[in-house]
Amino acid sequence: MTGDPAVLLRLPDGVGLEGPIVDLRGVDVDVSPAAIRDAVRVGCPTRPDRPTVHAPPPTRVHVHVCHLAPGVSVDRQAALAAVGAARGVETAHEADLGRAKQSLRELSIPTVDDDELRAARRRAAEAGSETERLRERVATLRGRVAARRDDGDDDALADAEASLSEATRTLSEASTQRVAATQRLAALEDRAQRARDARERRLRLEDRVENLRRARRAARADAVGPDFRDARARIDATVADRIGATGAEADGLRDALAVAVIAPLRAPVVVGADVVTAFGGPEATFERLEAPLVIG
Amino acid sequence: MLLVVTYSRRARETLRNACRSHEETVVRRFGRAALLRETEYGAFLACRLRERHAGDVQVERTEPFNEFADAPDAVREAAVAYARRDSPHTPYGRFAAGTDFPEASEMRGREL
Repeated sequence: MTGDPAVLLRLPDGVGLEGPIVDLRGVDVDVSPAAIRDAVRVGCPTRPDRPTVHAPPPTRVHVHVCHLAPGVSVDRQAALAAVGAARGVETAHEADLGRAKQSLRELSIPTVDDDELRAARRRAAEAGSETERLRERVATLRGRVAARRDDGDDDALADAEASLSEATRTLSEASTQRVAATQRLAALEDRAQRARDARERRLRLEDRVENLRRARRAARADAVGPDFRDARARIDATVADRIGATGAEADGLRDALAVAVIAPLRAPVVVGADVVTAFGGPEATFERLEAPLVIG
Repeated sequence: MLLVVTYSRRARETLRNACRSHEETVVRRFGRAALLRETEYGAFLACRLRERHAGDVQVERTEPFNEFADAPDAVREAAVAYARRDSPHTPYGRFAAGTDFPEASEMRGREL
């Protein structure tokens, strides 16, 4: 790598370290590799008590390989898909995906005022129960009128008839309101139903976009799979025993190293001292990974 | 029963979770829809979904369909006769032509 140094690491105390390779071994700094990794991820500016890294911004691959040291784990499929994307792998899904996204953007959903709909439901329900209540009252009063008529008490009969007539009038008004409320609700429900047709199309399109994205990720991962397997085999054959990790932990780190080897990286990678030693020193590590390094 | 249909990814996810946690209240699940038992708890779940996802949730109250009460005799009898027809490849239009059975287009235009 030539030209400007690819990394400028500014420590909280103001000290700046730069170069394609920043070697923190033997340097008296009170900054953890994790803090540097986070600084690479977030870019500038950072809080005053944190280190700052000036470097090209990380791509999607970076999250998988930004810290190459014992204890890292890699979601292999996701990492390979990210490598494929960073390499610009073209898949058979681009055109379909573009069309589906375009359709999704063009889709307009008719607006439905949910509060209005809720108010209409409430009014229809209230009008319904009020009508029921009045209907029962009219029936009761009708019975009372009949009873008074049997009694032959003219004054009581007149009172009962007046109450019945009043109740019948109120019921008639309530029934009218009920019909109006029911029709209003039906009209709003109709509009909501039409909006649901559009929402249904949107949901289908969203599912289609998601499925195509998944297929594209799989295709990208497949495309770089052979390179990954080659790189992983070379790691296994050369440095695997000396990278400072054992068991399942070693597996994760070997995967991460193989991904880092095949990925186009421009943002700096934080590499553990054991890994650098296993690769044969800072220069050799830099050449293998083809990425700016912070060794710590 | 209460039929709950969802129209967005988030509403569908909420329904899925609700169905998983409240199996006793779920009668059937279909992808992004579910039939809930007609209990207060079923209503509680439906109200929660509606509250959270508003227009992305449709809630309907279903009833058993009684063909003797809910469908005109002519419609029911036409369906029975057509289901029992001799030649399985005859479309309904040809089957009904020249008979008293109602035409499909007539039936489409008439509300129950």
